[in-house]
Amino acid sequence: MLKDIKLTSVNANEGERFTGHGAEWRDAKLSSEDARIATSWVELKIDKRSMLTNKDRVEDVRDIMWQLEKDGEIVVHRVSDEHQPVMVKTLYGWDKKIPTRRLWHHKSCGQCGNIPGYPASLLWLMNRLGIEYLDETDQTSCTAWNYHGSGIGNLESLAAVFLRNFHQAYVAAKAQGLPDGYYFPLVHCGTSFGNYKEVRGYLLRSAKLRESVRKILGKLGRLVDGKLLIPEEVVHYSEWMHVMRDRIAAMREIDCSHVRATIHPACHVYKMVPEDAIYDDTILGGNRLAVTTSTMQALGAQVIDYSTWYDCCGFGFRHIISEREFTRSFAIDRKIRVAVEEARADVMIGHDTGCITTLDKNQWISKAGGKGVELSVLADCQFAALVCGAHPYKIVQSHWHASPTETLMEKLGIDWQAKKAEFVSYLDEVKAGKQENLYDPRRMITSGPGFIPIAARQ
Amino acid sequence: MTHAAGTRVQEHIGDPVSDQPAVPRAKLEEIFKDIQSDLRFDHELKGCLNCGICTATCPAAHYYDFSPREIVQLLWTENLEGIYDAMQEKIWACAQCYTCAARCPFGNSPGGLIMLMRETAIKHELESAKAVLRPFSRVMLKLISTGNQLAPDMITPEHFPDWGPNVSKIDAPLKLLRKAIPMPTLNTTATAWEVNLKTSVELYTIWEETGVLKQLEGIDRNLFDVIADVMDEKREDWKDFLADQEDEQKDH
Repeated sequence: MLKDIKLTSVNANEGERFTGHGAEWRDAKLSSEDARIATSWVELKIDKRSMLTNKDRVEDVRDIMWQLEKDGEIVVHRVSDEHQPVMVKTLYGWDKKIPTRRLWHHKSCGQCGNIPGYPASLLWLMNRLGIEYLDETDQTSCTAWNYHGSGIGNLESLAAVFLRNFHQAYVAAKAQGLPDGYYFPLVHCGTSFGNYKEVRGYLLRSAKLRESVRKILGKLGRLVDGKLLIPEEVVHYSEWMHVMRDRIAAMREIDCSHVRATIHPACHVYKMVPEDAIYDDTILGGNRLAVTTSTMQALGAQVIDYSTWYDCCGFGFRHIISEREFTRSFAIDRKIRVAVEEARADVMIGHDTGCITTLDKNQWISKAGGKGVELSVLADCQFAALVCGAHPYKIVQSHWHASPTETLMEKLGIDWQAKKAEFVSYLDEVKAGKQENLYDPRRMITSGPGFIPIAARQ
Repeated sequence: MTHAAGTRVQEHIGDPVSDQPAVPRAKLEEIFKDIQSDLRFDHELKGCLNCGICTATCPAAHYYDFSPREIVQLLWTENLEGIYDAMQEKIWACAQCYTCAARCPFGNSPGGLIMLMRETAIKHELESAKAVLRPFSRVMLKLISTGNQLAPDMITPEHFPDWGPNVSKIDAPLKLLRKAIPMPTLNTTATAWEVNLKTSVELYTIWEETGVLKQLEGIDRNLFDVIADVMDEKREDWKDFLADQEDEQKDH
């Protein structure tokens, strides 16, 4: 029953239950019976965690993984104590280990190509927290955007790409004279995250698939002692944000308790391989995906519910390129307009590449129908960086966003015009080759052309 | 013109008033066998009671003549004609959000099954698949030749006029704006990040070994030729690098 749901949060809304109506919410003081009737109605209407769990319980593929390692067929890249993991609970209450340091950034092509403030904000937060990481050139896209859009590719190619990239994460530290397994991969893109987890499941279940990709990985020199390397966990950056949220919130410089935020959870983060998604009884009553909502609550923002929370963004993989009418109609009418008119949101926060792109870029065209709608769209780490004092242009790179991020900045008390002027002046320094970097550029090449061995650097 | 109207269900699929030749039964069986033989098939199709939860929640069903329930039913009942028919257009409506998979009480994955059908449409070089994928060729070119699916030089106002004038809010050359990103791997315009030459060459081996290049050749011969040239060039560069390394080692 609704009245039994207690929201415990560490933010400025301490004591407020999650109601979906923000700071102005007042208790209706219903009798127990009326509350029961109202709650029953809501439960019939709103999907909950039970929609995912009220079916045959699925197997935990990690059990197969440990058995295969015991049988000498694979090697598991462990989340070790050196990665300082934090344990969280997933959909069925299983444990998942989230590494917090020594991270290998598995970048997202859509984020890097189109929303560069997304990864830059994440790295900036890590710098502020003193987290060791590696951002290098030896990695490919997961190839899953193309696959889901076009059907070009197959399970074998997706599996080979997964194993190749994660093997590189395992050996990357050698370039710095450090041991194998030093860094643990942190996946930035939601589609990569869902795809890699799905592929990992098939690899663990199918000896035939393992055998065919073992041959390919062997040709690439990407086996460990002649065996496939499988990561103990596939970890999304939003999960890292989730377990680090209190430490991030402790760095907050700007009050955001008056900001009404709607969350867009990414389909490939929690609908694909849902058993691995994080649920937390203290976040949304444990009924919905915890990540990102948890981060926003920790930062002190008001998280506002809306009726199309479960809907996708309209990205569609192929649709954003060649079925644009679908993409923009869905993004505007099922997400942005609902967030603006129903939730009266100041911002929509996401945690995936395609969603942020779709929701951010497709607003301008809504004016064509005479019913224009506008809402600032950012990733959770960009919002976090912004309220922790990151430069809105140098770090958050808000100029790549088509949505009105300026309105949000004004609400946060940020003089965006002054910041923008600073950035425009800074471009002259960049022209002169004096750009500021978040890490030493010499670390980004770990082999091949341009690699400088450690000894030569010293 | 075919006169197969009366035999459509038993023997052929074909439009009785069309000039298109009917599809032989053997071809329909071959297509279904290709879908069914994928190791994911049994994992993604466990049964169906036609409850329609998948369609009720499907974003594509809001906008297209598309129903994941129908797709599952066609596969579950092995309706070969219906499967072939759906592969002409309907399978391309799916937005691949997997909401259907998350909701299905049976644990089916209609979205996953759609992928098996798309792969099969490409394997059989269906004209409908070629037509549908033509506008997607920029993504395929970028991915297969560089390892990145999306690059800054693909996001231009010319390509996305409906995104409006604010795609970049600062009036400066793309190259300069990319240099101003504080991650050195991102100071690029033709790829999302700088990709190591070794990485690209390794990826080419994966494409070849897993039949992806063959898929591409069947669906878009011109694109395949362009990509093959890029691959040859990069492989040559890699060989040159290795030869230089060897020379250096000898000198030492």
